[in-house]
Amino acid sequence: MIEGQGIPTLVIGTAHDIMTQVTPPRAAFVDHPVGRTFGPPHERARHELVLTKALAELEQFARPGEIRDLKINWSPDGSRAWEDELRAELLRDR
Amino acid sequence: MPFEYLPIMAQHAAPKPPRVLAAPSKPAWCGLSKPARESRIALLSSAALRLVDQAPFIPREDLSYRRLPVDPGGGAIVIDHHSGIGQVPRQDPEIVFPRTVLAKLAAQGIIGALSPFHFSFMGGVRRHEEIENTLAPALTRELQQAGVDLALLVPY
Repeated sequence: MIEGQGIPTLVIGTAHDIMTQVTPPRAAFVDHPVGRTFGPPHERARHELVLTKALAELEQFARPGEIRDLKINWSPDGSRAWEDELRAELLRDR
Repeated sequence: MPFEYLPIMAQHAAPKPPRVLAAPSKPAWCGLSKPARESRIALLSSAALRLVDQAPFIPREDLSYRRLPVDPGGGAIVIDHHSGIGQVPRQDPEIVFPRTVLAKLAAQGIIGALSPFHFSFMGGVRRHEEIENTLAPALTRELQQAGVDLALLVPY
């Protein structure tokens, strides 16, 4: 809606499946848990890495609805152990 | 393979049907008018962020928004969003609202300038028609008045 009024937008998000469904004009995917889009608390270097990589992708978008993977993992070793903790967090307030 | 949120949302909503995700039939597209290093940029967060002395958001269907200072020293940020994921971002809202890093990039000339304000609203609201007809146009007007060239949206 903002984009439709002439202001370019970039979504920086962690939920690839949701972004696939809602099709924002430009989306940068960060493979972090939701609610930690830019990294762990107080790790400014990681926050800066995510933001600068997202901005660097801007001119690469060629068509609406494209999702570009920033190729940043939550765990340096690529572990997916964070997913179990996140699942519990997301269901906590049922 | 990325973490799948939609099955969790369905489990969370049960026995009600899962939330309907609204998507445009055809995504809007507006070409970049200038590169990031020349652009005035605003952050938009759906985490229902506010300053301590601003009126709280009222979960879960609040359609208001808040202007937030772009200066990292402009006041502590409160997260009003009702999501269960809030415990960690409340330790450091910068992980969903990186205004300190964005200000640093502006000072370094990596982006052109900061918008006079950043903005936040309540994500996950189901009143799609009112979002489309009221909230989104109001935010768009704010961005236009601020001369924003690029809006960075961070879903929560």
